[in-house]
Amino acid sequence: MHYQGESWGYYMPTSSMPSDTMERVVKLASESAVVIFSLSSCCMCHAVKRLFCGMGVNPTVYELDQDLRGKEMERALMRLLGNSQAVPVVFIGGKLIGSMDRVMASHINGTLVPLLKEAGALWL
Amino acid sequence: MANHRVGETGLTESRPPNHHHHHNIPYAVLHGMNVPTSFIHQEGSAFGFGELEEAIVLQGVNIRNDEAKAPLFRPAATLEMFPSWPIRFQQTPRGSSKSGGESTDSGSAVNTICSKTENQLEPESPISTKNTTPLDHQQEMASDFSRTGTSQNQPVAKLPQEKRRGSTSEKQLDAKTLRRLAQNREAARKSRLRKKAYVQQLESSRIKLTQLEQDLQRSRSQGFFLGGSAGAVGNISSGAAIFDMEYSRWLEDDQRHMSELRTGLNAHLSDSDLRIIVDTYISHYDEIFRLKVVAAKADVFHLITGMWTTPAERCFLWMGGFRPSELIKMLISQLDPLTEQQVMGIYSLQHSSQQAEEALTQGLEQLQQSLTDTIAGGPVIDGMQQMAVALGKLANLEGFVRQADNLRQQTLHQLSRILTVRQAARCFLMIGEYYGHLRALSSLWVSRPRESMMSDDHSCQTTTDLQMVQPSQIHFSDF
Repeated sequence: MHYQGESWGYYMPTSSMPSDTMERVVKLASESAVVIFSLSSCCMCHAVKRLFCGMGVNPTVYELDQDLRGKEMERALMRLLGNSQAVPVVFIGGKLIGSMDRVMASHINGTLVPLLKEAGALWL
Repeated sequence: MANHRVGETGLTESRPPNHHHHHNIPYAVLHGMNVPTSFIHQEGSAFGFGELEEAIVLQGVNIRNDEAKAPLFRPAATLEMFPSWPIRFQQTPRGSSKSGGESTDSGSAVNTICSKTENQLEPESPISTKNTTPLDHQQEMASDFSRTGTSQNQPVAKLPQEKRRGSTSEKQLDAKTLRRLAQNREAARKSRLRKKAYVQQLESSRIKLTQLEQDLQRSRSQGFFLGGSAGAVGNISSGAAIFDMEYSRWLEDDQRHMSELRTGLNAHLSDSDLRIIVDTYISHYDEIFRLKVVAAKADVFHLITGMWTTPAERCFLWMGGFRPSELIKMLISQLDPLTEQQVMGIYSLQHSSQQAEEALTQGLEQLQQSLTDTIAGGPVIDGMQQMAVALGKLANLEGFVRQADNLRQQTLHQLSRILTVRQAARCFLMIGEYYGHLRALSSLWVSRPRESMMSDDHSCQTTTDLQMVQPSQIHFSDF
C-alpha cells in the first residue's frame, strides 16, 4: 500500500469546477491497479484496506483528509456513487467498483479476484 | 384439638366442687401477681386478642380496687402481650389473700405460659387439678396463636358468661367498661378478617405473577416479545421491540417455508418447480436482512448484542448475526455428493467469506480503539466535544452491522448459485433446522431444573464448559 500525499496538488489548477475534480478522480484512479479513496479517521476504510492487504494486494490509498482538495473530491465521489458516504471507494484497473458493500459482494460471488488478476494486482 | 371456650370447659374440668366460685377464672388475670398459673392452661386452648385485652383492662380495674395486690403488678406486662413461645415461667410469691370473688391464683396471662416444674400451685388452684401436662397446654397455646381467627367466635359468646360472673363478684365492672371491651373485641375481629382477606389477595396475586413469568419466559425463548412500546418489557427501545415482533413473524414464516421445502423435496418435484420454492426461500431471507437494515438504524446495540436471538444463538454471534464461514463449515459435510467444481466453489466461498469477516472485524477493532481513545483518561479539554466525537464514532457501528448482514446475504445467494436446485433446497432446509435446534436448545437451557446446578461445583463447571464449546466441536449430524 502506498499513499499519495499532497505533492501532486501542486500541478493542478485551483479550479472549483466540479468536472475538473471528477477528472482528477478518474485520472488518479487509472494510475494504479487498485486505488482506494479514503479518510484516515474512517474505520470502514480501514476494513477495506485490510481486506485487500489480506488478499496480498498492494492498493494505492488517497487519504482525502490529508489532501488540499480533499473536500471537493469527497463531494465528487458522493455524486458518483449517489449516496452520502463518499469513502471508501475502490477502483480496480481504472474501473469503479464501488463502496464496501459492492467490494464484498464481488469478493463473495467470485468476481473480485479475476478483476484483480486482470489489473495485475494479483499474481496467483 | 378441641376449641375450648374460654373459661368454660377447661374451667369446669379443673374446678373442684368446693371452689365453684373460681369460675371467674377469666378475671384471674387480674391478679397477675400471685401464684403464677397458666391462664391459658386452665382455659384450655382458646386464646384470642379480645381475651388479652380484656385481661389487661380488668387487671387495671383490679389494681384500682385491690391495692394489696399492687406491689406485685408489673406494668411491663403489656409489653409481653405477644410473647415468643415459650416464655420462661416466672414464679412470684403467693402473697396476699384472695379477695372475695377473685380467689384464683392465676398470674397475669402473659407470665403464665410456663414450664411445669416451677409451677407452685395451691391446692385450691384450678390448675392443680388439671390432669394434662403443662406441655400439652403449651402446645395447645402455640396452635392457638396461629389460629387467632378461629377464636373470634368466643368473645361474643363468652359475654353473657362474663356478665354472669360479673354479677357474682365484679360489681365494679360497669356497663361502660363492658361495652368498651365488646367494642375492642369487635375491632380485633374486624382486623383479623381484613388481614385474612389481604393475605388471600396476596396469595392469588402471587400465583398470577408466577404464571405471567412462566408465559414470558416461554415466549422469550421463542423469540417473541409481548408489547411493542418502549419500556413495556424492561427497557427495550421501540425500534428493538418492533424488530423483535417482525422477527418472530419471520420465524413463523420460516417454519412454513421449511415445510414447503420438505414436501417439495419428498414429492420429487421438477427442478423448475423446486427452483421457485428455493427462490422464495431466498427472498424470505432477503426480507429479514431488509428488516435488519431498519433495525440497525433504530437500535444497533439491540442487534449487535444479540438480544433479538436466543441464548444459544447469541453464543455464536458475530457482528449481530451468524458468521458465514462457520455456517459453510457446518454445511460442507452434509452437502455430499458434490462435484469437484462445486467443492472448489464452496471452499472458495468459505475462504473469501473468512477474508471479508476478518476485514470487518479489524475495522470494528479500529473503531473500538478510536472510541476508547476518545473517551478514556487523559486531560479532558472539552467533555461535551469529546462526547460528541464519541457519538459520531459510535454511529459507525450501524455501518458494520449492515456490512456483516450484507456478507451473510451474499453468502446465501452464492450458495444457491453453486449448488443444484435440489442441493440448494436441502441446504436451506439444513440451515433452517440447525437454527431451529439452537433455539430449542436455548428453550431447554432456560427451563432446565436449577437445583441440580447448585448441587455441586462440578455440575456448574460442566455447564460453563458447554457454553464455551467451539462451533467446530459440535457435530450437527448428531441431531
